[in-house]
Amino acid sequence: MAGLELLSDQGYRLDGRKAAELRKVQARMGVFAQADGSAYIEQGNTKALAVVYGPHEVRGSRSKTLHDRAVINCQYSMATFSTAERKRRPHGDRKSTEMSLHLKQTFEAAVLTNLYPRSQIDIYVKILQSDGGNYSACVNAATLAVVDAGIPMRDYVCACTAGFVDETPLADLCHAEESGGGTSLALALLPRGGHIALLQMDARLHQDHLETLMEAAMTACKGVSKVLDEVVRQHLQEVSALTGE
Amino acid sequence: MIKTEKVLHLKSSRGRKVRVVREHYLREHVPCYSSLCQAQCANEGKVLSGEVTHYVMPDAGVARDFMEILEFREIQGIVFTQTACQAVQHSRGRRQYNRLRSLLKDPRHHCILFANEFQEYSYCPREKGEPQDKWQTRCVYHAAVWYHDHLAGLKPVVMITEDQNAVAEYSSLNCGVYVLCTQEYLQTFWPELQAALELYCSIAQSLQEKGSEGTEREYTEHLPAEVLEAGIKSGRYIQGTLNVNKHRAQHEAFVRFEGSSNKSSELNSDVLVCGGKNRNRAVHGDMVAVELLPKGEWRGRTTALTEGQGEEKGDETQSQPMATGRVVGILQRNWRDYVVTFPPKEETQSQSRNSQRILATPWDQRIPKIRISTQQADKLQDHRVIVRLDSWDSTSLYPNGHSVRVLGRAGELETEVQTILIENCIHVPPFSEAQLGEMPVSSPESPWSVDPAEVITRRDLRQTHLVFSVDPRGCEDVDDTLSIRSLPPGPRGERLELGVHIADVTHFVKEGSLTDLEARARYAMSVMWDLDAQTLAVNTVWYGRTLIQSSYQLYYELAQALLNGEEAEVPELGTIRDAKLAQLTQALETLTHVARQLRAQRDKGGALELEGVEVRAQLDEDRNITALVPRQPLEVHETVAECMIYANHWVARKIQESFPQQALLRHHPPPRQEFFNQLQDSARARGFTIDTRSNKALADSLDRAVDPRDPLVNRLLRVMATMAMSNALYFSTGACPVDQYYHYGLALDRYTHFTSPIRRYADMIVHRLLTAAIAMEKGAGPAKALASNKELEEVAQQINNKNRAAQHAQKVSTELFQCLYFRDKDPETDERCVADAVIYTIRANGMLVFIPQYGLKGAVYLKNREGQVVSERQDGGCDWQTGSLQRYLDHITTTTAVGTSTFNLFQHITVRISVEPSRCHSDTIRLEVVSNRPHQAPETQVQTSQPQGARGRSQLVQEVVRQAEEASQQAEEKRGRASKLSTEEREFRQSKCPNLYSLLEEVRELALLDLAACGAGGGGLGAAAQACATSA
Repeated sequence: MAGLELLSDQGYRLDGRKAAELRKVQARMGVFAQADGSAYIEQGNTKALAVVYGPHEVRGSRSKTLHDRAVINCQYSMATFSTAERKRRPHGDRKSTEMSLHLKQTFEAAVLTNLYPRSQIDIYVKILQSDGGNYSACVNAATLAVVDAGIPMRDYVCACTAGFVDETPLADLCHAEESGGGTSLALALLPRGGHIALLQMDARLHQDHLETLMEAAMTACKGVSKVLDEVVRQHLQEVSALTGE
Repeated sequence: MIKTEKVLHLKSSRGRKVRVVREHYLREHVPCYSSLCQAQCANEGKVLSGEVTHYVMPDAGVARDFMEILEFREIQGIVFTQTACQAVQHSRGRRQYNRLRSLLKDPRHHCILFANEFQEYSYCPREKGEPQDKWQTRCVYHAAVWYHDHLAGLKPVVMITEDQNAVAEYSSLNCGVYVLCTQEYLQTFWPELQAALELYCSIAQSLQEKGSEGTEREYTEHLPAEVLEAGIKSGRYIQGTLNVNKHRAQHEAFVRFEGSSNKSSELNSDVLVCGGKNRNRAVHGDMVAVELLPKGEWRGRTTALTEGQGEEKGDETQSQPMATGRVVGILQRNWRDYVVTFPPKEETQSQSRNSQRILATPWDQRIPKIRISTQQADKLQDHRVIVRLDSWDSTSLYPNGHSVRVLGRAGELETEVQTILIENCIHVPPFSEAQLGEMPVSSPESPWSVDPAEVITRRDLRQTHLVFSVDPRGCEDVDDTLSIRSLPPGPRGERLELGVHIADVTHFVKEGSLTDLEARARYAMSVMWDLDAQTLAVNTVWYGRTLIQSSYQLYYELAQALLNGEEAEVPELGTIRDAKLAQLTQALETLTHVARQLRAQRDKGGALELEGVEVRAQLDEDRNITALVPRQPLEVHETVAECMIYANHWVARKIQESFPQQALLRHHPPPRQEFFNQLQDSARARGFTIDTRSNKALADSLDRAVDPRDPLVNRLLRVMATMAMSNALYFSTGACPVDQYYHYGLALDRYTHFTSPIRRYADMIVHRLLTAAIAMEKGAGPAKALASNKELEEVAQQINNKNRAAQHAQKVSTELFQCLYFRDKDPETDERCVADAVIYTIRANGMLVFIPQYGLKGAVYLKNREGQVVSERQDGGCDWQTGSLQRYLDHITTTTAVGTSTFNLFQHITVRISVEPSRCHSDTIRLEVVSNRPHQAPETQVQTSQPQGARGRSQLVQEVVRQAEEASQQAEEKRGRASKLSTEEREFRQSKCPNLYSLLEEVRELALLDLAACGAGGGGLGAAAQACATSA
């Protein structure tokens, strides 16, 4: 599929979006009663489920305990049915370990961990369907789950990918665009202060273009944050209506 | 936006079937790109006008198979649907799709793309079990209905399809939306466009024939693209461009590597592909993947000279075995339009069972015969026809094609010139009314004048500087002028001011307009240097827009005469006034002095003085060719050229400084060392050594290699060095590392083309860059965004390609004229057909010679088809005798019963020149040895031959006169076109070209004489300009 035209001369992408348009984002909070916090998000056809436990006392080896802040433990996994070809995905393979680590870094930057010394927060994320932008869907889902769990954060963490095709930055890549061979940049942003929690790019990109690409990714993240904010507010309304306050 | 989903069934990399779900977003507002739009669509860029009678919407099948018809510029108001475009992309590949894209971008074509699949109401999802073509037709019909409704029914929309069922199903559903067959459509709406209908029939027929192919397999199947890609990555296959050997087109072809794929170091040469089976349907120019054969099957390349194609030779003339391979797959077809000739009637009847199919022979010998289905074969006897290739299946021995257009009768001048142009992909469409309308008018009634507002913004040099131009005699397109004057002495001594002023074409040609430049007072872009009078060190350089008044319009011969102190009539002076003349002569002398020093500076850096073979045809009053004369450079040529090179160099420095990422420069990569082998071998034969390690070393050793008895030796060595050079190329500075900016031939670290904006588009880009650079210096940002590195690189590539094509066309046209000159002369009796020749290369069965008198290079055979060889009689004359041939490094001997004769490298021999006519290809010059002694030419030969030539006109030459008018018309078009290149914004109207010869000289000029770029002392400007002079 090397010859796909990612951006047509008329400015349309493969799925009919324009360069700066995001995929449709839908999310729900509080999907499981068992966990302390949970959320489900759909970013286009990428679907992710996030569950948060904690803060609770450190389990397993005591040596991990930090005396001034909480430990954040992240686990990322993909369902066997998440891609076009069914594939068993054992825990702890290289890719998911790396992704777990990235998630951990992201949330250590966002969660006010110093409020909970000697404790641990677990974040489990599962990709149910994968169609590009797995990392950003996970971050967004986990943010909602953390909010649902009532753990204080500095700000929402919103993530989005951006690619670069024909000198034009594309926001929120789908799978076909990601595998098209171009550059893909993942960015996690704390939108209110404009702080970057994580920035990752594997492919080559001319230095001159980095700024435009980051600009596009940040705009996309801010777009995502608006949607997340709405979801949170609506969830709050529903919950407060139920409890009768 | 509404989100929907689309389910696709694709194949995974491992060949398994995969179900893929893709999102598909629909929106309400999709621009319709019609000026009739009632809904305020965001129509940007190209918009369909409302003035056509209807809009036409081709369905997927029509867009796929009949795009060539839609390319007719006369057919207006075409709406391509996204569905149709995607069908083209999927079934016809990238090349065809890119063609469609450029069609959509080209403002001269009246067509737009409507993204129907992203429109909420025109999109129809594919139903379960619906065949793809049905779905596509339905989509296009829905789009047509939507489009009609969107324009509130103001314009009828016609959908054209090849599917009869669709016509029946849809035609009566909606009023205002018509569904027609393509043929019916063309007949009803474009009855006057006969060519389109013919083309339609031709394509339809070849499509039909394609269905009824035999099943006998002639070639092995090509491997699928994924396998090829993987194979190339792993190094199993080699990727490269197929080059067919022109002289042995059926047997030998070479594959040249594309850089990186060449991992194995042992393969540093090309790969040989022997025979048609191994070539496996690849055509000259295609990008192919080859697999190497086992070493045991490797063969050598044939070194013997062959007469005509298809002649089998024994294996004894082969060189060392080289890497040999076979084509396993084709990565990219590079088919273009080919000119073919239909075979004579007798042959057609005997060769085919089916009289509708004809094997036509392409003009280009490297292209295989093409099978064409046509009913016009009888009508097209002896005509040259343009064809396009459609396909080449493994079951067919020859490729299938269809005819596009008839050029004319073979052998006619018009046809032959057209052929050369088409074979080199030079298209010369006439300027449209709109383009002509954009020019400023300069007529006797309303003469063009200087705009006072412009005067303020420009530096006025009209009073202060003595500006003059030196051009070929009779040249009307003066674009470069010079000035020189002394400045008051500065702190470091005497100062000179040298100025080069180039017509400010970009002022006129803003966004594609044409202009007839007024020659005297006018706008210019100037570069002026403040030089130290002694050392010529540059104190300051000034770049800017100016207003100049050219005082003298000199021509080369006149300028040279002034320099030599001869009596000369300067037209501008009328009655010669001594003071003014002295002033002018003084200026010329200073200029010459400066140019000499500049040249010396460059020589120190290693600039090469190379030699190209150049002839010009001398014409009499009736514009007949009376003689072929090699050009004789004057010093003033070099002087002017040197100033231009200097200007180019400094402009290159300036724009590169201002735009390090996006300046258009020209570089000349160092040649590959193995190309020098022939030169070194030949030089060794005369006891010279040629050092090719650097350009400096090469220049020095060439200077040393002078034979006092024979000045031609040095000239020939220089010619051979020129042949070893690689081509100079334009590039964008962002696309190339700084150390590759170097110009090998000129020995300059930065070079560009600035001085001929009328003739070359590259110069216009450079002018724009320079203007922007000056503006930046003044603090203002560039007025509009300059072309990015990527765009510029694309333009540079395009210019390079066109440049190469023009160069080739120039070469072929020179040959055409040489043939023309000798065609009517009887080689047995006419003494002009006997000439002195110098041997410069020895081959297995003959040698290559150079004829200085006519600037002709060619092969001389010492062995003919009957196996006879040339032997020498007592008096030096030569006969054919049975005997044998022995080749050595620096000589070749023939041994017969009579005796042995030897031909040495650089020996002068006498040859007879005759023309070998050819039916399908171009005529060729044929050389025969008359004697192996120098030709005793009567001194007055050239002079006496002139009046004779006037009398001895051939029919063909008369045709030159008859067609001079059309030809000049064409020349004009071509000039515009060649400098025009990719985009549309570059045309100029210039002086009328007087005859066909100047047409071809135009091509020569446009070829930008890379000779010049190689540093051939005189430079391209002088040489090219001189060519122009002969037409006066």
